[in-house]
Amino acid sequence: MSKYRITVEGKTYEMDVELIGANGAVVAPAPVAKAAAPVVAAPKAAPAPAAAKPAEVGSGSVTAPMPGTILKVLKATGDSVKAGEVVLILEAMKMENEITAPVDGTIGSLNLTEGSTVAGGDLLFDVK
Amino acid sequence: MDELWKNSIDRLESRREAVLAAGGVERIAKQHASGKLTARERMEALFDDGTFVELNDQITSRCSDFGMDKKKKPGDGVVTGYGYIHGRVAFASSQDFTVGGGSLGEAQAMKICRAMDKAMEMKAPFISINDSGGARIEEGIDSLTGYADIFYRNTIASGVIPQISVIMGPCAGGACYSPAITDYIFMTDYAQMYITGPAVVKSVTGEVITSADLGGASVHSSTSGVAHFVYPDDLSCLNGVRQLLGYLPQSNEDLSLNVPGTPVDNSAALSDIVPADSKKAYDVRNVINSIVDAGSFFEVQESFARNIVVGFARLDGQSIGVIANQALYMAGSLEINASDKASRFIRFCDCFDIPLLTLVDVPAFLPGSQQEHGGIIRHGAKLLYAYSEATVPKVSLIMRKAYGGAYIAMNSKGTGADIVYAWPIAEIAVMGGSGAVSIIGKKAIEAAEDPAAKRAELLAEYNDKFMNPYIAAEHGYVDEVILPSETRSKIAEAFRMLETKDRTLPLKKHGNIPL
Repeated sequence: MSKYRITVEGKTYEMDVELIGANGAVVAPAPVAKAAAPVVAAPKAAPAPAAAKPAEVGSGSVTAPMPGTILKVLKATGDSVKAGEVVLILEAMKMENEITAPVDGTIGSLNLTEGSTVAGGDLLFDVK
Repeated sequence: MDELWKNSIDRLESRREAVLAAGGVERIAKQHASGKLTARERMEALFDDGTFVELNDQITSRCSDFGMDKKKKPGDGVVTGYGYIHGRVAFASSQDFTVGGGSLGEAQAMKICRAMDKAMEMKAPFISINDSGGARIEEGIDSLTGYADIFYRNTIASGVIPQISVIMGPCAGGACYSPAITDYIFMTDYAQMYITGPAVVKSVTGEVITSADLGGASVHSSTSGVAHFVYPDDLSCLNGVRQLLGYLPQSNEDLSLNVPGTPVDNSAALSDIVPADSKKAYDVRNVINSIVDAGSFFEVQESFARNIVVGFARLDGQSIGVIANQALYMAGSLEINASDKASRFIRFCDCFDIPLLTLVDVPAFLPGSQQEHGGIIRHGAKLLYAYSEATVPKVSLIMRKAYGGAYIAMNSKGTGADIVYAWPIAEIAVMGGSGAVSIIGKKAIEAAEDPAAKRAELLAEYNDKFMNPYIAAEHGYVDEVILPSETRSKIAEAFRMLETKDRTLPLKKHGNIPL
């Protein structure tokens, strides 16, 4: 990060400037004590990793975010998973939606097979 | 100096001290102990250093019922005044929880209204910091009328000056409706908003719920959509307010600040970010960050209706509003909450002449009884209405999918888009191939010897004909099919050309947006 001083209409501002990477990701600078100038808004957070975040009904329970068809089942009941790991792929709304584990743990209640249809809000699996 | 001068000055000084003493050392210590700043400290944090000027510090309640004349405090539980943010004037009120719990009575309401009136006359933003136990019961309906006076001014000022509410403590009952009428609500992690609190909920419905679960920052930022921004504490929250104001004009008669940023063209990265296979998801925020000025994207309502992303950014230093379908969440489909979120954002930008950039990758409106019964027809209509009504420069980029009614709803040519670009991988069609073939090829498939083969043949034909941007370009619904690497320069050029756009709506009292 580089520090710059600029003058806008006679008023001097200090700002921190950084380039964004080839993948467009921006590293968030920590907010300063007072937003110095409206020059470069400090982004609040780097973009989330590319994984669909399913709705949660309880801790570790994953429900279908929308109606669709199960395209792939990548894990089975009893498998251990890390948070963010893809458990199954739900084909819905012209998209292959990756459904991931919300927390670290062991997969339970995963009774879906490839090709089965689910309604929005149906329990897909839980992680304990 | 003679004796009379001295006595007069002493009297003023002791009155000033009484105002600054607020609710007293103990209550201030309690406020600090709970991680909060005092009302005046918040003003100092909100405005440029040393610029806050207090108004009407001596206003006090005239109520004498229930012994209130013995309890009255100078300032009446609110600090009001003005200062400068990024060198531009703004007015604010800040409720003082240490003085009578910040409760709102007739005098407090009058102070707030005075500051609001000044903001309107000066055509400057108004910021209301809320930290109050609610209506001052001892003052009865005068207190309630005080709220009404504020709601009325909020409504009249809507679309004239930016109004921002900051919730930094309790905000219950009628107190919620002033923030709700204003443009943006900021909350800290320890703020709560609800119309009826946990005690009333329990006595009426039997439901037992904590105040955080009922109306905490997490609930309002992700579930109800009431709050637009959440911050962990007072300082970061007020910093957020300053940041937001940096993108906005002072009023509907003013222009936003143009702040030259660092124009980096990252368009070359776009073909790596967005998969050409339209069934694969990606984070549309990476697309936004690659198009706009480096680090300038400031997301609004990031945790609510995540299937659509909205926020402010800069393009060559100029403020713009960005609306983008988020393939990562619910496949980027439109539903009730996304329609509401985007419509309100579009209308705010239009009020304050902030141009709109729309990034389209939308499969459809989400089907299902939940959506239909929830009123997707009237909610989705808001999006069409908001885009059609907006007279600001409107530029669209169709990245991949643009299907059916959802395509039309996302700033299409027919609803008044000034310039529509599309990438060569765009799929612009009335519906997806599979569904279309089932309808238009039904008889041919049924009559065929090998229905599956016939279906595959028709599907290939449909996809070849329609899964591209060229029919839309031939018919003039897309102005130009562009390379990903040309994206930023084309969009920036379009907005430059559109700077002098002058389109007005027919004279009317106001339209009737489907609410």
